[in-house]
Amino acid sequence: MVTINYAFREISCKIVYYGPGLSGKTTNLQYVHDRIPSKSRGDLISLATEADRTLYFDFLPIHVGDIAGFATKFQLYTVPGQVFYNATRKLVLRGVDGIVFVADSQKAKMDENIESLTNMYENLRENGIDLSEIPVVIQYNKRDLPDICSIDELQKALNPEGWVCTEASAVNGTGVFDTLKRITKLVLEHTKRETAVSPDGVPQIGAASAPMPERVDVSSQRAEPVYAQTVATVPNGGSWTQANRSAVAVEEPPPPSGQGADALISSNKITQTGIAHRATPIPRDVVFARQPSRRIRSRQRSFWDRLFGWLTGR
Amino acid sequence: MSSHSFVVYEEQVNQINAALLRMIKKAEAKCALLVDKDGHLITRQGFTQTLDTTALAALLAGSFASTKEIARLVGEPEFSVLFHQGKKDHIHVSLVGERCILAVLFDDRTTIGMVRLFAKETGDRLKEILTESDNKEEPAIDPEFARSAGSKIDDVFKE
Repeated sequence: MVTINYAFREISCKIVYYGPGLSGKTTNLQYVHDRIPSKSRGDLISLATEADRTLYFDFLPIHVGDIAGFATKFQLYTVPGQVFYNATRKLVLRGVDGIVFVADSQKAKMDENIESLTNMYENLRENGIDLSEIPVVIQYNKRDLPDICSIDELQKALNPEGWVCTEASAVNGTGVFDTLKRITKLVLEHTKRETAVSPDGVPQIGAASAPMPERVDVSSQRAEPVYAQTVATVPNGGSWTQANRSAVAVEEPPPPSGQGADALISSNKITQTGIAHRATPIPRDVVFARQPSRRIRSRQRSFWDRLFGWLTGR
Repeated sequence: MSSHSFVVYEEQVNQINAALLRMIKKAEAKCALLVDKDGHLITRQGFTQTLDTTALAALLAGSFASTKEIARLVGEPEFSVLFHQGKKDHIHVSLVGERCILAVLFDDRTTIGMVRLFAKETGDRLKEILTESDNKEEPAIDPEFARSAGSKIDDVFKE
Protein backbone atom coordinates (compact mmCIF):
# COMPACT_ATOMS: atom_id res chain seq x y z
CA MET A 1 0.00 0.00 0.00
CA VAL A 2 1.65 3.19 -1.18
CA THR A 3 1.54 5.91 1.47
CA ILE A 4 1.11 9.41 0.09
CA ASN A 5 1.75 12.17 2.59
CA TYR A 6 0.66 15.51 1.20
CA ALA A 7 1.87 17.41 4.25
CA PHE A 8 5.48 16.42 3.68
CA ARG A 9 4.93 15.78 -0.04
CA GLU A 10 6.21 12.24 0.32
CA ILE A 11 5.42 8.97 -1.41
CA SER A 12 6.56 5.83 0.32
CA CYS A 13 6.54 2.36 -1.27
CA LYS A 14 7.32 -1.02 0.22
CA ILE A 15 9.30 -3.59 -1.77
CA VAL A 16 9.83 -7.08 -0.39
CA TYR A 17 12.60 -9.48 -1.41
CA TYR A 18 11.12 -12.96 -1.16
CA GLY A 19 12.70 -16.35 -1.78
CA PRO A 20 14.02 -19.55 -0.26
CA GLY A 21 16.61 -19.60 2.52
CA LEU A 22 20.16 -18.66 1.51
CA SER A 23 19.08 -17.54 -1.96
CA GLY A 24 20.72 -14.13 -1.48
CA LYS A 25 17.97 -11.73 -0.38
CA THR A 26 19.98 -10.14 2.42
CA THR A 27 23.05 -10.08 0.17
CA ASN A 28 21.07 -8.03 -2.36
CA LEU A 29 20.23 -5.47 0.31
CA GLN A 30 23.77 -5.42 1.65
CA TYR A 31 25.15 -4.70 -1.81
CA VAL A 32 22.62 -1.91 -2.38
CA HIS A 33 23.47 -0.49 1.04
CA ASP A 34 27.20 -0.56 0.31
CA ARG A 35 26.94 1.05 -3.12
CA ILE A 36 24.32 3.75 -2.71
CA PRO A 37 25.60 7.09 -1.40
CA SER A 38 24.76 7.50 2.27
CA LYS A 39 22.68 10.62 1.58
CA SER A 40 20.29 8.45 -0.47
CA ARG A 41 19.79 5.71 2.07
CA GLY A 42 19.29 5.00 5.74
CA ASP A 43 20.95 2.32 7.82
CA LEU A 44 20.50 -1.33 6.97
CA ILE A 45 18.70 -2.97 9.84
CA SER A 46 18.94 -6.73 10.14
CA LEU A 47 16.89 -8.65 12.62
CA ALA A 48 19.02 -11.77 12.40
CA THR A 49 19.99 -14.75 14.51
CA GLU A 50 23.49 -15.08 15.92
CA ALA A 51 24.36 -17.19 12.90
CA ASP A 52 23.42 -14.24 10.66
CA ARG A 53 20.28 -15.86 9.35
CA THR A 54 17.36 -13.47 8.97
CA LEU A 55 14.97 -13.91 11.87
CA TYR A 56 12.31 -11.35 11.09
CA PHE A 57 13.37 -9.00 8.30
CA ASP A 58 16.13 -6.80 6.94
CA PHE A 59 15.15 -3.23 6.28
CA LEU A 60 16.79 -0.64 4.07
CA PRO A 61 15.15 2.75 3.40
CA ILE A 62 16.14 4.48 0.16
CA HIS A 63 15.42 8.11 -0.66
CA VAL A 64 15.29 8.55 -4.40
CA GLY A 65 14.76 12.28 -4.04
CA ASP A 66 12.26 14.68 -5.50
CA ILE A 67 10.14 13.25 -8.31
CA ALA A 68 7.46 15.54 -9.74
CA GLY A 69 7.30 17.43 -6.47
CA PHE A 70 7.19 14.36 -4.23
CA ALA A 71 10.03 13.10 -2.08
CA THR A 72 9.97 9.47 -3.10
CA LYS A 73 11.09 6.74 -0.73
CA PHE A 74 11.40 3.01 -1.08
CA GLN A 75 11.50 0.71 1.88
CA LEU A 76 13.27 -2.52 1.00
CA TYR A 77 12.50 -5.52 3.17
CA THR A 78 13.62 -9.12 3.04
CA VAL A 79 11.77 -12.04 4.53
CA PRO A 80 13.32 -14.89 6.50
CA GLY A 81 13.73 -17.67 3.95
CA GLN A 82 13.75 -20.60 6.30
CA VAL A 83 10.58 -22.65 6.15
CA PHE A 84 9.76 -22.53 9.86
CA TYR A 85 9.66 -18.71 9.94
CA ASN A 86 6.50 -18.59 7.90
CA ALA A 87 4.53 -16.61 10.50
CA THR A 88 6.97 -13.70 10.39
CA ARG A 89 7.38 -14.02 6.63
CA LYS A 90 3.67 -13.50 6.20
CA LEU A 91 3.75 -10.37 8.36
CA VAL A 92 6.47 -8.75 6.25
CA LEU A 93 4.31 -9.11 3.14
CA ARG A 94 1.58 -6.89 4.56
CA GLY A 95 1.09 -3.72 2.58
CA VAL A 96 3.63 -4.72 -0.06
CA ASP A 97 3.79 -2.64 -3.25
CA GLY A 98 6.25 -4.75 -5.24
CA ILE A 99 8.01 -8.09 -4.86
CA VAL A 100 11.42 -9.31 -5.96
CA PHE A 101 11.49 -13.09 -5.91
CA VAL A 102 15.12 -14.13 -5.48
CA ALA A 103 15.50 -17.66 -6.85
CA ASP A 104 18.58 -19.80 -6.31
CA SER A 105 19.80 -20.99 -9.72
CA GLN A 106 21.52 -24.12 -8.41
CA LYS A 107 19.98 -27.35 -9.64
CA ALA A 108 19.81 -28.75 -6.11
CA LYS A 109 17.73 -25.75 -4.98
CA MET A 110 14.95 -26.01 -7.54
CA ASP A 111 12.53 -27.70 -5.17
CA GLU A 112 13.15 -25.03 -2.53
CA ASN A 113 12.46 -22.33 -5.12
CA ILE A 114 9.16 -23.92 -6.02
CA GLU A 115 8.20 -24.41 -2.39
CA SER A 116 9.01 -20.80 -1.61
CA LEU A 117 7.05 -19.53 -4.60
CA THR A 118 4.04 -21.62 -3.63
CA ASN A 119 4.38 -20.29 -0.09
CA MET A 120 4.48 -16.73 -1.43
CA TYR A 121 1.19 -17.25 -3.24
CA GLU A 122 -0.38 -18.65 -0.08
CA ASN A 123 0.87 -15.85 2.14
CA LEU A 124 -0.26 -13.17 -0.28
CA ARG A 125 -3.67 -14.75 -0.48
CA GLU A 126 -3.92 -14.93 3.29
CA ASN A 127 -2.99 -11.24 3.48
CA GLY A 128 -5.75 -10.46 0.98
CA ILE A 129 -3.29 -9.32 -1.68
CA ASP A 130 -4.07 -10.07 -5.29
CA LEU A 131 -0.82 -10.89 -7.05
CA SER A 132 -2.19 -9.50 -10.30
CA GLU A 133 -2.36 -6.11 -8.57
CA ILE A 134 1.31 -5.78 -7.70
CA PRO A 135 4.44 -5.87 -9.84
CA VAL A 136 6.87 -8.76 -9.44
CA VAL A 137 10.44 -9.17 -10.68
CA ILE A 138 12.07 -12.59 -10.52
CA GLN A 139 15.82 -12.60 -10.00
CA TYR A 140 17.80 -15.73 -10.90
CA ASN A 141 20.64 -15.42 -8.47
CA LYS A 142 23.98 -17.23 -8.10
CA ARG A 143 24.62 -17.34 -11.84
CA ASP A 144 28.34 -17.46 -11.10
CA LEU A 145 28.15 -20.91 -9.50
CA PRO A 146 28.72 -24.23 -11.31
CA ASP A 147 25.91 -26.77 -11.67
CA ILE A 148 23.13 -24.29 -12.20
CA CYS A 149 19.91 -24.56 -14.16
CA SER A 150 19.66 -22.80 -17.50
CA ILE A 151 17.47 -19.71 -17.70
CA ASP A 152 15.03 -21.64 -19.90
CA GLU A 153 14.59 -24.29 -17.23
CA LEU A 154 14.14 -21.70 -14.51
CA GLN A 155 11.66 -19.74 -16.58
CA LYS A 156 9.58 -22.81 -17.27
CA ALA A 157 9.61 -23.96 -13.68
CA LEU A 158 9.25 -20.66 -11.82
CA ASN A 159 7.90 -18.04 -14.16
CA PRO A 160 4.81 -19.20 -16.01
CA GLU A 161 3.29 -15.80 -15.24
CA GLY A 162 5.89 -14.07 -17.42
CA TRP A 163 7.22 -11.67 -14.80
CA VAL A 164 10.22 -9.55 -15.63
CA CYS A 165 13.30 -11.63 -14.90
CA THR A 166 16.90 -10.72 -14.26
CA GLU A 167 20.11 -12.67 -13.84
CA ALA A 168 22.30 -11.89 -10.89
CA SER A 169 25.21 -12.82 -8.77
CA ALA A 170 24.39 -10.81 -5.68
CA VAL A 171 27.57 -11.66 -3.83
CA ASN A 172 29.62 -9.68 -6.34
CA GLY A 173 26.84 -7.27 -7.24
CA THR A 174 26.05 -8.39 -10.77
CA GLY A 175 22.41 -7.70 -11.58
CA VAL A 176 21.52 -6.32 -8.15
CA PHE A 177 20.89 -2.77 -9.33
CA ASP A 178 19.31 -3.97 -12.55
CA THR A 179 16.72 -5.82 -10.46
CA LEU A 180 16.20 -2.85 -8.16
CA LYS A 181 15.74 -0.43 -11.04
CA ARG A 182 13.19 -2.65 -12.70
CA ILE A 183 11.06 -3.22 -9.61
CA THR A 184 11.14 0.44 -8.55
CA LYS A 185 10.12 1.63 -12.00
CA LEU A 186 7.33 -0.93 -12.15
CA VAL A 187 6.07 0.11 -8.72
CA LEU A 188 6.03 3.80 -9.64
CA GLU A 189 4.40 3.06 -12.97
CA HIS A 190 1.77 1.11 -11.07
CA THR A 191 1.31 3.91 -8.54
CA LYS A 192 0.80 6.39 -11.33
CA ARG A 193 -1.80 4.25 -13.05
CA GLU A 194 -3.60 3.68 -9.75
CA THR A 195 -4.02 7.37 -9.13
CA ALA A 196 -3.69 9.26 -12.41
CA VAL A 197 -6.96 11.02 -13.16
CA SER A 198 -7.33 14.52 -14.44
CA PRO A 199 -9.65 17.02 -12.72
CA ASP A 200 -12.62 16.40 -15.00
CA GLY A 201 -12.08 12.70 -15.38
CA VAL A 202 -10.36 12.75 -18.77
CA PRO A 203 -7.41 10.34 -18.71
CA GLN A 204 -4.16 12.21 -18.36
CA ILE A 205 -1.94 12.40 -21.37
CA GLY A 206 0.87 10.08 -20.56
CA ALA A 207 -1.09 8.29 -17.88
CA ALA A 208 -3.17 5.26 -18.86
CA SER A 209 -2.40 5.67 -22.54
CA ALA A 210 1.34 5.98 -22.04
CA PRO A 211 3.51 3.40 -23.74
CA MET A 212 4.42 0.65 -21.31
CA PRO A 213 7.01 -1.37 -23.17
CA GLU A 214 7.64 -3.71 -20.27
CA ARG A 215 4.04 -4.87 -19.99
CA VAL A 216 2.64 -7.42 -22.38
CA ASP A 217 -0.18 -9.91 -22.22
CA VAL A 218 0.60 -13.35 -20.81
CA SER A 219 -1.09 -15.02 -23.76
CA SER A 220 1.61 -13.67 -26.08
CA GLN A 221 4.45 -15.20 -24.13
CA ARG A 222 7.13 -16.22 -26.57
CA ALA A 223 8.69 -19.63 -26.85
CA GLU A 224 12.05 -18.44 -25.66
CA PRO A 225 12.30 -16.41 -22.43
CA VAL A 226 12.16 -12.68 -23.01
CA TYR A 227 14.25 -11.18 -20.30
CA ALA A 228 13.10 -7.94 -18.80
CA GLN A 229 10.34 -7.52 -21.31
CA THR A 230 7.41 -9.41 -19.96
CA VAL A 231 5.16 -8.64 -17.07
CA ALA A 232 1.87 -10.35 -16.76
CA THR A 233 -0.96 -10.84 -14.39
CA VAL A 234 -1.68 -13.96 -12.39
CA PRO A 235 -4.95 -15.15 -13.86
CA ASN A 236 -6.23 -16.99 -10.83
CA GLY A 237 -4.93 -14.72 -8.12
CA GLY A 238 -2.12 -17.07 -7.23
CA SER A 239 -3.47 -20.56 -6.85
CA TRP A 240 -0.57 -22.05 -8.79
CA THR A 241 0.75 -25.15 -7.10
CA GLN A 242 3.51 -27.61 -7.50
CA ALA A 243 1.08 -30.05 -9.11
CA ASN A 244 0.27 -27.83 -12.02
CA ARG A 245 3.82 -26.54 -12.03
CA SER A 246 4.90 -29.84 -13.51
CA ALA A 247 2.22 -29.43 -16.14
CA VAL A 248 3.58 -26.01 -16.96
CA ALA A 249 7.11 -27.38 -17.12
CA VAL A 250 6.29 -29.87 -19.86
CA GLU A 251 3.85 -27.68 -21.71
CA GLU A 252 5.39 -25.78 -24.61
CA PRO A 253 4.43 -22.12 -24.69
CA PRO A 254 2.42 -21.06 -27.74
CA PRO A 255 4.50 -20.10 -30.78
CA PRO A 256 5.06 -16.40 -31.39
CA SER A 257 1.88 -15.03 -32.85
CA GLY A 258 3.43 -11.90 -34.27
CA GLN A 259 1.90 -9.77 -31.55
CA GLY A 260 4.85 -8.06 -29.98
CA ALA A 261 4.89 -5.60 -27.13
CA ASP A 262 4.05 -2.72 -29.47
CA ALA A 263 0.81 -4.31 -30.60
CA LEU A 264 -0.23 -5.03 -27.07
CA ILE A 265 0.47 -1.56 -25.79
CA SER A 266 -2.69 -0.46 -27.54
CA SER A 267 -4.62 -3.57 -26.55
CA ASN A 268 -7.96 -3.40 -24.79
CA LYS A 269 -6.44 -4.40 -21.51
CA ILE A 270 -4.43 -1.24 -21.25
CA THR A 271 -7.11 0.99 -22.74
CA GLN A 272 -9.54 -0.34 -20.18
CA THR A 273 -7.44 1.17 -17.43
CA GLY A 274 -8.20 4.57 -18.88
CA ILE A 275 -11.90 3.83 -19.10
CA ALA A 276 -11.93 2.72 -15.51
CA HIS A 277 -10.39 6.01 -14.45
CA ARG A 278 -12.87 7.96 -16.51
CA ALA A 279 -15.74 6.16 -14.84
CA THR A 280 -14.71 7.49 -11.44
CA PRO A 281 -13.95 11.17 -11.85
CA ILE A 282 -12.58 12.98 -8.87
CA PRO A 283 -14.02 16.41 -8.08
CA ARG A 284 -11.79 19.27 -9.10
CA ASP A 285 -11.34 20.54 -5.59
CA VAL A 286 -9.79 17.41 -4.13
CA VAL A 287 -7.19 16.90 -6.81
CA PHE A 288 -3.69 17.51 -5.47
CA ALA A 289 -5.08 17.94 -1.97
CA ARG A 290 -5.86 21.59 -2.60
CA GLN A 291 -2.30 22.77 -2.29
CA PRO A 292 -0.27 21.68 -5.30
CA SER A 293 3.29 22.83 -5.45
CA ARG A 294 4.27 25.46 -7.98
CA ARG A 295 6.00 22.79 -9.96
CA ILE A 296 2.86 20.68 -10.24
CA ARG A 297 0.75 23.75 -11.07
CA SER A 298 3.06 24.55 -13.93
CA ARG A 299 2.79 20.97 -15.12
CA GLN A 300 -0.99 21.18 -14.92
CA ARG A 301 -0.89 24.27 -17.11
CA SER A 302 1.31 22.54 -19.61
CA PHE A 303 -1.14 19.65 -19.65
CA TRP A 304 -4.02 21.99 -20.43
CA ASP A 305 -1.94 23.68 -23.11
CA ARG A 306 -1.26 20.30 -24.63
CA LEU A 307 -4.90 19.29 -24.39
CA PHE A 308 -5.99 22.56 -26.02
CA GLY A 309 -3.49 21.99 -28.78
CA TRP A 310 -4.74 18.48 -29.28
CA LEU A 311 -8.40 19.60 -29.40
CA THR A 312 -7.73 22.37 -31.88
CA GLY A 313 -5.49 20.16 -33.97
CA ARG A 314 -2.47 22.39 -33.53
CA MET B 1 -1.42 -1.80 -3.60
CA SER B 2 -3.57 -4.48 -2.32
CA SER B 3 -6.00 -1.83 -1.16
CA HIS B 4 -6.29 1.90 -1.62
CA SER B 5 -3.20 3.97 -1.11
CA PHE B 6 -3.03 5.53 2.31
CA VAL B 7 -3.27 9.27 1.72
CA VAL B 8 -2.67 11.86 4.42
CA TYR B 9 -3.47 15.51 3.74
CA GLU B 10 -1.67 18.55 5.00
CA GLU B 11 -4.58 19.86 7.06
CA GLN B 12 -4.90 16.46 8.74
CA VAL B 13 -1.23 16.25 9.57
CA ASN B 14 -1.51 19.74 11.08
CA GLN B 15 -4.38 18.56 13.26
CA ILE B 16 -2.49 15.39 14.17
CA ASN B 17 0.62 17.38 15.05
CA ALA B 18 -1.40 19.68 17.28
CA ALA B 19 -2.97 16.70 19.07
CA LEU B 20 0.43 15.02 19.53
CA LEU B 21 2.01 18.19 20.88
CA ARG B 22 -0.83 18.60 23.36
CA MET B 23 -0.35 15.03 24.53
CA ILE B 24 3.43 15.40 24.87
CA LYS B 25 2.94 18.51 26.97
CA LYS B 26 0.25 17.03 29.21
CA ALA B 27 1.95 13.65 29.69
CA GLU B 28 5.45 15.19 29.83
CA ALA B 29 6.66 12.68 27.26
CA LYS B 30 9.78 13.12 25.11
CA CYS B 31 8.30 12.55 21.70
CA ALA B 32 5.52 10.85 19.78
CA LEU B 33 5.42 9.13 16.41
CA LEU B 34 2.43 8.23 14.30
CA VAL B 35 3.21 5.28 12.05
CA ASP B 36 1.03 3.30 9.67
CA LYS B 37 0.82 -0.47 10.11
CA ASP B 38 3.08 -1.04 7.11
CA GLY B 39 5.90 0.84 8.79
CA HIS B 40 5.69 4.22 7.03
CA LEU B 41 6.14 7.23 9.28
CA ILE B 42 3.19 9.64 9.05
CA THR B 43 4.36 12.35 11.41
CA ARG B 44 6.39 12.96 14.56
CA GLN B 45 6.51 15.52 17.31
CA GLY B 46 8.82 16.31 20.23
CA PHE B 47 12.53 15.61 20.53
CA THR B 48 13.12 13.31 17.58
CA GLN B 49 16.25 14.91 16.12
CA THR B 50 18.56 12.24 17.48
CA LEU B 51 16.31 9.36 16.49
CA ASP B 52 16.34 7.42 13.23
CA THR B 53 12.59 7.74 12.93
CA THR B 54 12.35 5.89 9.58
CA ALA B 55 13.93 2.76 11.04
CA LEU B 56 12.02 3.20 14.28
CA ALA B 57 8.74 3.33 12.37
CA ALA B 58 9.50 0.12 10.45
CA LEU B 59 10.57 -1.71 13.61
CA LEU B 60 7.58 -0.51 15.61
CA ALA B 61 5.25 -1.71 12.88
CA GLY B 62 7.06 -5.06 12.77
CA SER B 63 6.90 -5.38 16.52
CA PHE B 64 3.22 -4.53 16.54
CA ALA B 65 2.47 -6.97 13.72
CA SER B 66 4.21 -9.82 15.53
CA THR B 67 2.38 -8.98 18.76
CA LYS B 68 -0.88 -9.10 16.90
CA GLU B 69 0.01 -12.55 15.63
CA ILE B 70 0.88 -13.65 19.17
CA ALA B 71 -2.52 -12.35 20.28
CA ARG B 72 -4.23 -14.36 17.60
CA LEU B 73 -2.39 -17.51 18.68
CA VAL B 74 -3.57 -17.13 22.27
CA GLY B 75 -7.12 -16.39 21.17
CA GLU B 76 -7.18 -12.58 21.47
CA PRO B 77 -8.21 -10.50 18.48
CA GLU B 78 -5.44 -7.99 19.10
CA PHE B 79 -3.23 -6.58 21.88
CA SER B 80 -4.01 -2.92 21.44
CA VAL B 81 -1.27 -1.62 23.74
CA LEU B 82 2.42 -2.52 23.91
CA PHE B 83 4.86 -1.25 26.50
CA HIS B 84 8.65 -1.50 26.35
CA GLN B 85 10.41 -0.65 29.59
CA GLY B 86 14.04 0.42 29.51
CA LYS B 87 16.50 1.67 32.13
CA LYS B 88 15.85 5.33 31.37
CA ASP B 89 13.53 5.51 28.41
CA HIS B 90 10.33 3.66 27.77
CA ILE B 91 7.97 3.32 24.83
CA HIS B 92 4.21 3.09 24.93
CA VAL B 93 2.71 1.82 21.68
CA SER B 94 -1.01 1.82 21.00
CA LEU B 95 -3.29 1.14 18.11
CA VAL B 96 -5.08 4.07 16.44
CA GLY B 97 -8.05 3.01 14.35
CA GLU B 98 -7.46 0.23 11.86
CA ARG B 99 -4.35 1.47 10.12
CA CYS B 100 -2.08 3.40 12.46
CA ILE B 101 0.11 3.02 15.52
CA LEU B 102 0.92 5.73 18.04
CA ALA B 103 4.28 5.41 19.79
CA VAL B 104 5.12 7.64 22.76
CA LEU B 105 8.68 7.80 24.09
CA PHE B 106 9.04 8.95 27.67
CA ASP B 107 11.45 8.81 30.60
CA ASP B 108 11.24 8.89 34.38
CA ARG B 109 9.99 12.48 34.52
CA THR B 110 6.53 11.06 34.02
CA THR B 111 4.71 7.80 34.68
CA ILE B 112 3.26 5.06 32.54
CA GLY B 113 -0.19 5.88 33.91
CA MET B 114 -0.05 9.47 32.69
CA VAL B 115 1.22 8.43 29.28
CA ARG B 116 -1.38 5.75 28.97
CA LEU B 117 -4.19 8.12 29.92
CA PHE B 118 -3.24 10.82 27.44
CA ALA B 119 -2.23 8.39 24.71
CA LYS B 120 -5.70 6.88 24.85
CA GLU B 121 -7.35 10.29 24.72
CA THR B 122 -5.13 11.36 21.82
CA GLY B 123 -5.64 8.05 20.05
CA ASP B 124 -9.39 8.65 19.97
CA ARG B 125 -8.86 12.12 18.54
CA LEU B 126 -6.41 10.84 15.91
CA LYS B 127 -8.86 8.14 14.93
CA GLU B 128 -11.44 10.82 14.13
CA ILE B 129 -8.96 12.82 12.09
CA LEU B 130 -7.80 9.77 10.13
CA THR B 131 -11.36 8.64 9.44
CA GLU B 132 -11.89 11.92 7.62
CA SER B 133 -8.88 11.05 5.49
CA ASP B 134 -10.31 7.62 4.65
CA ASN B 135 -13.55 9.19 3.47
CA LYS B 136 -11.86 11.46 0.97
CA GLU B 137 -11.29 10.40 -2.59
CA GLU B 138 -7.75 9.91 -3.70
CA PRO B 139 -6.25 12.77 -5.65
CA ALA B 140 -4.30 12.31 -8.82
CA ILE B 141 -0.57 12.04 -9.10
CA ASP B 142 1.13 14.18 -11.68
CA PRO B 143 1.28 12.18 -14.93
CA GLU B 144 4.89 13.18 -15.27
CA PHE B 145 5.61 11.32 -12.06
CA ALA B 146 6.58 7.89 -13.37
CA ARG B 147 8.39 9.37 -16.35
CA SER B 148 10.64 11.60 -14.32
CA ALA B 149 10.99 8.78 -11.81
CA GLY B 150 12.66 6.62 -14.45
CA SER B 151 15.55 8.98 -15.03
CA LYS B 152 15.87 9.75 -11.33
CA ILE B 153 16.07 6.06 -10.45
CA ASP B 154 18.75 5.49 -13.09
CA ASP B 155 20.65 8.34 -11.54
CA VAL B 156 20.45 7.13 -7.94
CA PHE B 157 20.89 3.41 -8.61
CA LYS B 158 24.00 3.63 -10.71
CA GLU B 159 26.79 1.28 -9.69
